[in-house]
Amino acid sequence: MFNQIKDLAGGELYLISSLIMFMVFFLIVGIYLLKLNRKHIEVMSELPLTENQSTAHEED
Amino acid sequence: MQLERFTYDNKIVRNFGIATLVWGIIGMTVGLLAAMQLFKPAMNLGNQYTTFGRIRPLHTNAVIFAFVGNAIFMGVYYSLQRLLKARMFSDLLSKIHFWGWQLIIVAAVITLPLGFTTSHEYAELEWPIDIAITIIWVVFGVNMFGTIFKRRERHLYVAIWFYIATFVTIAVLHIVNSFELPISFLKSYYVYAGVQDALVQWWYGHNAVAFFLTTPYLGMMYYFLPKMAGRPVYSYKLSILHFWSLIFIYIWAGPHHLLYTSLPGWAQSLGVAFSIMLIAPSWGGMINGLLTLRGAWDKVREDVTLKFMVVALTAYGMATFEGPMLSLKQINGVAHFTDWIVAHVHVGALGWNGFLTFGVLYWLIPRIYKTELYSKKLAGFHFWIGTLGILFYAIPMYWAGFTQGLMWKEFTSEGLLKYPNFLATTLQIIPMHILRSIGGALYLAGVIVMTYNLAKTMRSAKLVANEPAEAMPLTKEVIDHSAADKAWHRILERKPIKFMVFSLIIILIGGMVEMMPTFTIQSNVPTIASVKPYSALELQGRDLYIREGCVNCHSQTVRPFRSETERYGEYSKAGEFVYDHPFLWGSKRTGPDLHRIGGKYSDAWHYNHLVDPTSMSPGSIMPPYPWLVEQKLDISTTASKIKAMQTLGVPYAIGYDQKANDDLIFQAAQISAELKQNNIKVKSDREIIAIIAYLQRLGTDIKANKEKIPTN
Repeated sequence: MFNQIKDLAGGELYLISSLIMFMVFFLIVGIYLLKLNRKHIEVMSELPLTENQSTAHEED
Repeated sequence: MQLERFTYDNKIVRNFGIATLVWGIIGMTVGLLAAMQLFKPAMNLGNQYTTFGRIRPLHTNAVIFAFVGNAIFMGVYYSLQRLLKARMFSDLLSKIHFWGWQLIIVAAVITLPLGFTTSHEYAELEWPIDIAITIIWVVFGVNMFGTIFKRRERHLYVAIWFYIATFVTIAVLHIVNSFELPISFLKSYYVYAGVQDALVQWWYGHNAVAFFLTTPYLGMMYYFLPKMAGRPVYSYKLSILHFWSLIFIYIWAGPHHLLYTSLPGWAQSLGVAFSIMLIAPSWGGMINGLLTLRGAWDKVREDVTLKFMVVALTAYGMATFEGPMLSLKQINGVAHFTDWIVAHVHVGALGWNGFLTFGVLYWLIPRIYKTELYSKKLAGFHFWIGTLGILFYAIPMYWAGFTQGLMWKEFTSEGLLKYPNFLATTLQIIPMHILRSIGGALYLAGVIVMTYNLAKTMRSAKLVANEPAEAMPLTKEVIDHSAADKAWHRILERKPIKFMVFSLIIILIGGMVEMMPTFTIQSNVPTIASVKPYSALELQGRDLYIREGCVNCHSQTVRPFRSETERYGEYSKAGEFVYDHPFLWGSKRTGPDLHRIGGKYSDAWHYNHLVDPTSMSPGSIMPPYPWLVEQKLDISTTASKIKAMQTLGVPYAIGYDQKANDDLIFQAAQISAELKQNNIKVKSDREIIAIIAYLQRLGTDIKANKEKIPTN
């Protein structure tokens, strides 16, 4: 039903594009983490502990 | 703005909790039975419905999808409502989800012992049940997203990201790995064949571990651990990194289940590389969990729920360190197909999934009943007997794994296999299997004690079915133009559907990079001219092999090691499996590999061996299969099976489906005559004839043109 693969000769595009996708993904996550706002982090990490209090929303 | 009053649905949480306990005991009892069968074949109970090949899938399905599955839903339904400050979207959907899931499990409990199986590990259920799973999974998704939409908390806490990723990825995995062509109500063939089928299956199998046994549990860990410890998670930043890198990397690692097989080498290498990388996010999560307890270790001494959590996280850390190590080719060469893998899996299953579930149950049940746990002493006892159980399970299995893996590879100074008889390596580890059963029994005893303790707790108070709560409604979102608020992640956190789509893209990348070449690039497998489709009788025999679950103990792929080519014969080539819908490579060698079994023994040997394995292999732990002689082969299905194979691209001549049974009867008569010469009188219409035909065909195609055997 499907064709199967013999080798990747001429298919380097797969390898290079997957490597690029991998690097770009982690660059984005890395940059985002560096730019995160400290106050936001605090509010987020307190969420499970504050659930019984009537919400004090973070000011957006 | 007025405070809104609403209630949390605790009844659904309690119901999933009870289901977790009930299925946990059933699934683990079946596991214990299967474990005992491996040193006492009489424990197969002398009938086809309880033989190892049929109940091993029952055990795995019960503990994964029934025990862990119900525990996931219990944890999600409890934490989601509270994190979002909203009752579940629809009580009706919650009910449909609960009862639908239990019905699916009951269907599995009925069909698997009856021999209805697809043979894909952890996806054994046949196509109608697959459809039911899809529907119930969608019900769960609608209920979850409905709750997210009506939430009173703007931001989605990291636990919910894990739940969303779980939902979307399991949906993708289940659908892709369930492409089957039905030929009757409970029988189908996978559209994929051979190497492709193996790649799809282990992409699924590995990620079922990732997205069913790991991500929802990490979500639960990020919610329940801070609650239990009374302090926020150690690093929320780390949890973000943990989440994205885990879901991105996990999805690539499947091919490490297929090292040294005929899967293309580049795919194997890719799988290994990503498996090694997985240490980072996995340990990031474990460290984040353990450090959440910083300054609260005194509580661990007092609080049994925290004890369970600490062992769960430690087991998670050990299993996720070991996993990448096992994916190294050199280590995998020894460990694969042995009990080492069983030990590895159970450190994760008993330690991580089991203990985290117990911790959450002990914490949650008294809370939704507004009471105290019936007995802390019993819970403490459970903790210690459970921990001992894990040790008694894992250590003997590691020992057995190392022993057998090394024995298979040992040569004498003359260059001959030191243990040419496979059975010698099986008998060597029997004491370890006995010890493992004791470990399993200890662990199960702990679960029974817990069930008693929790039942007593439940009976001592009344369930707070609708727990009152109040929260401010969400105001319309204020658009803030400050740079910090435009960060993509903060936007994603508030847009659940975008979040889901983004997660979907992330998990699709790895799968597509690995699978697209095998589906789109021309050729492959040096096609092997002498590899021909199975005869009608062999095809029927193959389906019996699937029905009996032979694949649970016998692999069908000879790896290119001298220790294997000496023992079994020529190593397996991708081109040999092109007509195998499904592939039957297996993942465990409790018995020897069977890929080159064809022609190795006489038909009479196979007959005697199937009816009474110890007559041919004294001491064998294989169960006897006398019903194969008693039962008539159902040949009414031959035409539809041949037709289905034709649809899938297997080159039977046009119109062959109508003539196939003539060939089948002819070949069966030949085998019956051959047996008669050896004084075995058996009618040619019996099932055993078909299975002998299949076994005798296995791996023989390339023997026909040995000079032209391709290298892969």
